[in-house]
Amino acid sequence: MKKLWECTRMAQAFSLHRLFLLMLLPILCATAGCEKDKLYEVNEQTILPPNANKTKLKSDQQYIAILYANLFQTALSSDNLFEASECVKSIGDKDLVHEVLISNYMNSGGVILPTNEEMRADIDGFLTDTYNRFLVRNPTEAERQFFKNYIRTHPNVRPELVYFSFALSNEYQYY
Amino acid sequence: MMKRRGFIKKAAGATAGAFMAPYILPSGRLFAATGSQLAEHVVMVMFAGGVRQQESIEQTYLDQSQGIPVQGNIMYNMLDGAPPTQKVVYGTDGNLAGDTPIPAILSSTLQQQGTLFREVRSSHAGHYGGMNALLQGNTLYSQGLRQKPLNPTIFEYTRRHMGAPASKVWFVGNGIGNSTPLMNYSSHPNYGSAYGANFLAPNITFGSQGQEHLSNAKIYHPEEELDPIYQMKYFLDNNFENAGGTIETIYNTEEEKQSIKLFMREMYSLGGNIARPPISDNGDLSTVGYAVEVMKWFKPTLTVVNLGAVDGCHSNYTGYLRALHRADHAVGHIWNQIQQIPEMAGNTIMLVTPECGRNLNPNPIKDENDWLAFDHSDANTQRVFTQMVGPNVPSNLVRGGIGNQIGETADNCPTIAEILGFKADVMGSGLISSTARSLFDRI
Repeated sequence: MKKLWECTRMAQAFSLHRLFLLMLLPILCATAGCEKDKLYEVNEQTILPPNANKTKLKSDQQYIAILYANLFQTALSSDNLFEASECVKSIGDKDLVHEVLISNYMNSGGVILPTNEEMRADIDGFLTDTYNRFLVRNPTEAERQFFKNYIRTHPNVRPELVYFSFALSNEYQYY
Repeated sequence: MMKRRGFIKKAAGATAGAFMAPYILPSGRLFAATGSQLAEHVVMVMFAGGVRQQESIEQTYLDQSQGIPVQGNIMYNMLDGAPPTQKVVYGTDGNLAGDTPIPAILSSTLQQQGTLFREVRSSHAGHYGGMNALLQGNTLYSQGLRQKPLNPTIFEYTRRHMGAPASKVWFVGNGIGNSTPLMNYSSHPNYGSAYGANFLAPNITFGSQGQEHLSNAKIYHPEEELDPIYQMKYFLDNNFENAGGTIETIYNTEEEKQSIKLFMREMYSLGGNIARPPISDNGDLSTVGYAVEVMKWFKPTLTVVNLGAVDGCHSNYTGYLRALHRADHAVGHIWNQIQQIPEMAGNTIMLVTPECGRNLNPNPIKDENDWLAFDHSDANTQRVFTQMVGPNVPSNLVRGGIGNQIGETADNCPTIAEILGFKADVMGSGLISSTARSLFDRI
């Protein structure tokens, strides 16, 4: 009799345990991701101009090294870099000394430039290349329009002058 | 196609025209001459690089430095007094090293031609602090070494209150060390780069480095080539400025830049054959030669020349004597050359002041003559002198003496302001030392 009573108790305890597990199951399913989350995305929008992230002024040596590499597509030796940066320090008007340095490089031969014909045959491509080479970014639509119009309406403008203006620009002095 | 010679001539003419025409200051204020100037041009020589009174004003030569009883004046372009007759080492090499003194350039000394303040107080024992006192009229102890001057310099006062364009204000340095290139303008928010001076360290610009990296510069045609370059650059700059990016500039106009480039081209073409002093065997004398060329080309309202070879005294006393003798030669040459520039002759006041003195007692370093060297850090360092010469400066006048200091190095700034006619602006700025005043008020 006692044994029978113990068996009944065990059966009751087992069914209570199963009931508890059955009640827990939906909660576990919900937290374990049985149902997929809904994702809401937004389209990417440019809210800052492409040059806004350039906040650090290049040092004299950085400016010269990058300028030389951009113009000649090769690195300037460390001796020449040191000497050229001393020259830049020796003149107070930085715009002026940069201009002299660039025109010195332009006069020295070896600057890798497209021809005037190549530039005018594909102004779009030239502008993309020039922006990428000097300013490490693509032109905005407004910039592209300005330069396309400017180059088309100024037959005396050749790639050397465009490169010169980019190398002289304030944005080029930042990174 | 315009011929090159014609183009250069035209460009130079346009530049001259630009200087004569009225112009608007960066602040927007229209320039108008005040008419109260004592002279139209000022040249200040920041003299030599730390000078002991004993070997300069007191003319004790070796007596109060090495304990050798030989006295005499080795600065006889500037000061009255007979040179030493024994142990002459400061000249050029004859039979012995330095045994041939450099002949005087001036027929009468600057002391006879102008006013000498024999004992002036230097507030700083260092070069940068001393030069800042001369340029700022202030003696800020918070001034860092590798830092732009905190208060406006005399260059900025000149450009802002007198309306001088950038190419009329020059700072010719003896090099690019010791923060020298920082001194052409301050970081003061009401002044700064827009009123800065054109700085030039000619021994580098026109030395071997400059020959290699700057001398082959192409001169672009102003209308056909430079105009488009600038137009495209300005478009890019405007776009960048909209994004918050700006560059400090001293605002040389395009015409002024063109003139400076032509000046540089001229210097390279002269190949070192410039208006050097008769003896030109150290860096200071070369610097002075180029400073004279700057004066001849631009006829500046204000020219400041920095000389520094004397600072070799830290380790070589004999070299110090030679450099001091040459610094005097350099000053004599500058004054002589000024009288040969028509626009500046009789219309220029020159001031000469060391930025600091040197110690009373030597350090243990001996040179080739077994003579001891001197640093600059003790009370003797506070003793310097100032010389002033030119129109409206009393001649043959000496003020002050041992135990009677009259004036301080910070006086040079308001003195220049008085000469050029904007003393009230500088004195009322609240930015100069409360004890600084024009040396004309101390006569």
